[in-house]
Amino acid sequence: MLLELQNVCLELKRNHKYVKILDEVSFQVNQGETVGIVGESGCGKSMTALSIMRLLPEKAKLKGTIKLEDEDVTKFSKKALEKVRGNKLSMIFQDPLTSLNPLHTVGKQIEETLMLHTDLTKSQRKQRVVELLREVGLPRAEELVHEYPHQLSGGMRQRIMIAIAMACNPSLLICDEPTTALDVTVQAQILELMNSLKKMNEMGIIMITHDLGVVAEVCDRVIVMYAGKVVEQAGVKELFQNPKHPYTKGLIESIPKLGERKQILGSIPGTVPAPDKLPSGCKFADRCSYAMDTCRRKMPPMVHITNEHSASCWLLEEEEGEQFVTSGSKRIETTLHH
Amino acid sequence: MDALRYIIKRILLMIPILFGISVLTFFISNTIPGDPARLAAGPHADAKIIEELQEKMGLNDPLYVQYGRYMKNLVQGDLGTSNYSHQPVMEDIKQYFPATLELTLFSMFITILIGIPLGVISASKKDKLADQFARVMALIGVAMPAFWLGIIFLLFFYLQLGILPGSGRLDTGLAPPESITGMYTIDALLTGNWAVFNSAIIHLILPGITQAAVTIGMITRMTRSSMLEVLNSDYIRTAFAKGGSQNRVLYGHALRNGMMPILTLLGMTFGHSLGGSVLVESVFSWPGLGRYAVNAITYLDFPAVMAVTILIAVLFITVNLLIDILYQVVDPRLNYD
Repeated sequence: MLLELQNVCLELKRNHKYVKILDEVSFQVNQGETVGIVGESGCGKSMTALSIMRLLPEKAKLKGTIKLEDEDVTKFSKKALEKVRGNKLSMIFQDPLTSLNPLHTVGKQIEETLMLHTDLTKSQRKQRVVELLREVGLPRAEELVHEYPHQLSGGMRQRIMIAIAMACNPSLLICDEPTTALDVTVQAQILELMNSLKKMNEMGIIMITHDLGVVAEVCDRVIVMYAGKVVEQAGVKELFQNPKHPYTKGLIESIPKLGERKQILGSIPGTVPAPDKLPSGCKFADRCSYAMDTCRRKMPPMVHITNEHSASCWLLEEEEGEQFVTSGSKRIETTLHH
Repeated sequence: MDALRYIIKRILLMIPILFGISVLTFFISNTIPGDPARLAAGPHADAKIIEELQEKMGLNDPLYVQYGRYMKNLVQGDLGTSNYSHQPVMEDIKQYFPATLELTLFSMFITILIGIPLGVISASKKDKLADQFARVMALIGVAMPAFWLGIIFLLFFYLQLGILPGSGRLDTGLAPPESITGMYTIDALLTGNWAVFNSAIIHLILPGITQAAVTIGMITRMTRSSMLEVLNSDYIRTAFAKGGSQNRVLYGHALRNGMMPILTLLGMTFGHSLGGSVLVESVFSWPGLGRYAVNAITYLDFPAVMAVTILIAVLFITVNLLIDILYQVVDPRLNYD
């Protein structure tokens, strides 16, 4: 197991009081596996990533365990965090235009990671920087080293962010909406690059996105988050073919499909509730067309449909209940027969 | 080469600015009531002598002729003769300006050394004890009048403790070093005269700190607010995500990005202090440009007034140019244009 989150809760200070941003988030990432985290803006995807990196605001309250190769990141000291960040654990951010330091050359920014985490000499580092630039598919690497971010396009800058993240061969790479700020053709190139890097490096990837197209392209497994909670987890094929949670269904219905003559795309009414105004039962109840009384009163538990597939919805609980009743009655029947 | 072309262009641009300033000061100072000839001749001189003097000083010529003559001399390095000290104004300036320059450089050095780190700490420990402490210190510095602070320093360090000298640039009995730059500390260093160097340094301490107090306060606050803005940037998060330590991120990434407004303020205070601080110079009997200028104005010493005004203008423009060049050193996105 590369990464395991168990009951991770996060509270942040908003307007002088603490509000719950993440609520009992648990999931795992295996070596060489790409796990997608999807959901609308404000559902806690990025905060999950920042919790793993421990790049949270100072007054954040983080509970639960985040185990990276059996070490609990939540218990790390400042020094230990500095050692692991950019090294075993690295992250790519959403906006490549603002995520690079505008006053440092590309070479210096990549080299910094190497300087912090390796014993390479200066000339070895310079050489490795050029190699890295080539690995992420950038042309004229030798000249690029001396250029500044503002001289490069968005796609190139994201490649540089990837080079920085890949510099020390991380075991886990977290990508927070890495393609959102890029135009479509560049998006495809970046995803292709990530797929090839993944094959090369045997690392685990967490791909945070709101774009299910990206999920289909690169992920092995998907975690659907809503209002700070994991609502469904499944293998990527299973999720698209057999979504269980109404929210997941809504997300999938909102993807435009080629060849379909449907005029209106499916959409989920309303928006994600603010973290300080969450309903008491199922967080999705107010936007859910299947919502029942129970949904508004009590949180649905996580129901395991198969080993790989679980979702948290009262509808499933009922289905399972029925199944239980039917299988139970069969058993009674068989006993009676004997 | 772009950089060189830019600098030459900026220097050429200084000419019309200086022309404007010289015209303005020349005509204003010549239309002020008061007759320099009468002043130079003394209160008991008779009318004939004054008339002769007026003729000799060229005061009867039309103003534009006088201006033309003045500018012709100026270009040749002749700023006229002071009506007060009766020596060439150039000599006076050579004597007083280095004292001001030395004091200014020293106080700017203290300002940068204390103000910027204090501002960085303040921003990184926002609303904590260190920040509150820095805030109070900055407010005290800015709110305290320089002459009052100077007098308090004198009372305490000079009169009470007797550990620091209270006036002048050197201990009495010490001869100034051979004049190379006119700044005693630097000249003493260049000539290897340690006794003079020590004396010059300790004479700089009180006036230097007095003058720096205000600017430290301003720079601290400016650094703090500039840093706070920068610390919210995405690239700062990236720097932490790479495994950079707090200090590395603060000083290696954030400070340079927050440097622009700090440089602007530093440039302005530097240019301003180069004109001489009358209050600080008076309290510490520092023979600087500020006091020279005030004297010149009081005695209607027009050549001196003109010279000081033009000098201050040149200094201000030069400092501005320096700061503009520094902007571009700091931020590669600004290209020389």
